[in-house]
Amino acid sequence: MISLIGFSSLFLSLVSNLVVIITFKFSKTLTINKVFYSALYSGTFFIVLSFLSLVWAFISSDFSNFTVFQNSHSSKPLLYKITGTWGNHEGSMLLWLMIMCFCNMFFSFNKILEINLKKLTIFFQSLLFILFCLFVITTSNPFLVNSLNVNEGLGLNPILQDPALAIHPPVLYIGYIGYSLVLSLAIAGLILDKIDLLWIKATKTWALFCWSMLTGGIALGSYWAYYELGWGGWWFWDPVENLSLMPWIAGLALVHSLTIVHQEQLLKQWVVFLSILCFSLSIIGTFLIRSGILTSVHSFATDPSRGIFILILFLVITGFSFIIFILKSKESSGRLNLLFINKTSALIINNIVMLIACFTVLLGTIYPIIIEVLTDKRISVGAPYYNSVVLPILLPGFLLMSIAPALSWQTNKLNKAKYFFYTLVFVSIFSLFITYLTNFYIWGFIGTTLGLWIIAASLLSIFNNYKASNKISLHNNALFAHIGIGIVILGITFSSVFQIESNHSIKINETINIGKYSLKLNKIEIVEKSNYQELIGNFNLYKQGKLLSSIKPGQRYYHVPKTITTEAGIYHNWLQDFYLIINKQKENIWSIKMYQNPLVSFIWIGALFMIISGIIGMIKK
Amino acid sequence: MRKAILFLPLVIVITIGIFLSIFLLQGKDPNKPPSALLNKSLPNFKISNIYDGSQSISNQNLEKKFILINFFASWCAPCKAEHPLFFNLKKQYPNLFLLGVNYKDKRNNAIKFLNQDGDPYDYVGVDNEGSLGLEFGVFGLPETFLVNSEGKIIYKHLGPLTKKIISDEIVPIIK
Repeated sequence: MISLIGFSSLFLSLVSNLVVIITFKFSKTLTINKVFYSALYSGTFFIVLSFLSLVWAFISSDFSNFTVFQNSHSSKPLLYKITGTWGNHEGSMLLWLMIMCFCNMFFSFNKILEINLKKLTIFFQSLLFILFCLFVITTSNPFLVNSLNVNEGLGLNPILQDPALAIHPPVLYIGYIGYSLVLSLAIAGLILDKIDLLWIKATKTWALFCWSMLTGGIALGSYWAYYELGWGGWWFWDPVENLSLMPWIAGLALVHSLTIVHQEQLLKQWVVFLSILCFSLSIIGTFLIRSGILTSVHSFATDPSRGIFILILFLVITGFSFIIFILKSKESSGRLNLLFINKTSALIINNIVMLIACFTVLLGTIYPIIIEVLTDKRISVGAPYYNSVVLPILLPGFLLMSIAPALSWQTNKLNKAKYFFYTLVFVSIFSLFITYLTNFYIWGFIGTTLGLWIIAASLLSIFNNYKASNKISLHNNALFAHIGIGIVILGITFSSVFQIESNHSIKINETINIGKYSLKLNKIEIVEKSNYQELIGNFNLYKQGKLLSSIKPGQRYYHVPKTITTEAGIYHNWLQDFYLIINKQKENIWSIKMYQNPLVSFIWIGALFMIISGIIGMIKK
Repeated sequence: MRKAILFLPLVIVITIGIFLSIFLLQGKDPNKPPSALLNKSLPNFKISNIYDGSQSISNQNLEKKFILINFFASWCAPCKAEHPLFFNLKKQYPNLFLLGVNYKDKRNNAIKFLNQDGDPYDYVGVDNEGSLGLEFGVFGLPETFLVNSEGKIIYKHLGPLTKKIISDEIVPIIK
């Protein structure tokens, strides 16, 4: 019954959006104009209804629904029944559709854009919705009836039963799919030849919004990977991570170029190109994951017919957009105010660097596919490639970022260059000192200096702005984001270069020494929960005899499906994380693995800075 | 020249599209990595009978004909789904030896399952500890292996069998 309501609403939202498409042409008259908007809102209403039906089917453990049967179990806690809704391919595609509709609806509240441009954007967004809705209905229907008569489901993958993962996909999706609106806006602007200041303003708001959400989604995902996967790291260059990174980098380039256009009224083609690119990368990412071409920790049930459908969608949407881009782009007459080194040229170089980085990641991700098609051999491209290729590409970008605030828009002169120079010298000496105290690693030195310098230079610029206007204005938000990047760089550098890893065997009541610290295993407990049984090691961590904290790593045995997951025990500290994993070795002897990750929390603190600055950028006048 | 650059994104998109389509149309499935066991001989094993623990069967005393090894358990719903298909398969190809391996299960539950849904297997062995599963590289139920008359593993399927998979992939081999 609930599946029937869900499917009917899904179908009605498709019909509503078709009405939007049909009435668009005649919406000059007032009545039809009303129909146009009502259809848009009813489309959103129906898709929300459809989504809620699926959520309800999960909550009530309605195993007559095939998606629920495959991805849920009656013994799961309520939270994970709800989040199970988007923990699978079908449900997540329904979420995708709902976000598309929401974007369209919120965009329709825009009051500043010219009415034709607005309507054409809504038209294209509805068209995109229809394409994806057809995809869902034909290949990924979440409301299929289960042919087996069962009273129990197959269960949700235990590693997905986690609070961080409950909100990670929706947040990530809002960013990922929000770019569809940026694309619609770009195509509408191109066709109507309305790439003007208002268009830039609207695009900027959406681009910042999507980018902030994407940042949040990626940060949550990496945090989850950090404490759930039990590998001590937080970024694995997993294909799915890469695929979310690409629109993020392109979106970052977009946000930056929108500032130049703002100032110089130029580079419109470039901005339009990036607007198209962001969503294209989102679709190709979706294609590669959902078709099952790339496998990773994010496993979705795969089906070749889905792959072909999304590939066609990708080719149609991206191909169409780029053809419009070719046909409608005008020869730009204006000339860029490019000097050897001013803000504009720095931003352009930064854009090029980011695009190269984005392309490098794309290449690494699809290279195995190309090789397999050409030579029939299977290879895999992993972390070494990305670490050795992407990082050096990003370096010049980071360098530019640190001096960017000192550059001017109009001249080659550096504003207050000597202060920035002094800061650099001071920071370099300081980081040399730090690396001298520990061990000298070249990457450690570069990372520390760069991170500190970016933070210092940004703070200096905020201070200069304050002196000039005598108040801290919201316009410092870009500098605020740069401080975030600096913090992230410090976090990445310290947690990777200065990470200490050690393995030990331990008995109950035994104490082992690890450097300045000592670790005691008090007892082993076994805890029964409704959906799993957990073995927990109860450890005390001491520093020079003083108790710091207890750490409780564990292993969970999930009943349905039968799986064991590692639960890392983490003692968080602003400066250092103690990350502990436990395993049974022999009778009464436990093997433990300990990672000391210095400054690892900086990575997520920095991400938070970026998100906040993005949101400030959206709302500032 | 400027116009030519505008074409670049489209060209890249089409190139990527071509490679991805070829990949998809070739029907390559990365979920089926070439198993390390494929084209290798059966690992050495000895498993006891589920109904009578004193009897056992090993890879040496298996007959020299096609053998279908199916890992299943009573707690595994997809196993329940593929289970009826074995009756048909056995009826059509009586010469095929069906070896069921009851994997990480409770003996009583397994016997109850076989009584309820029927027992299509020629022999059902017990692998409570999952040690035989480890030898075969089983990581999800159900999993099915096909062994030829020379004792070599020539086919592996992960997940429940369907009518289509049996008629498209297994029947052409054993026919």
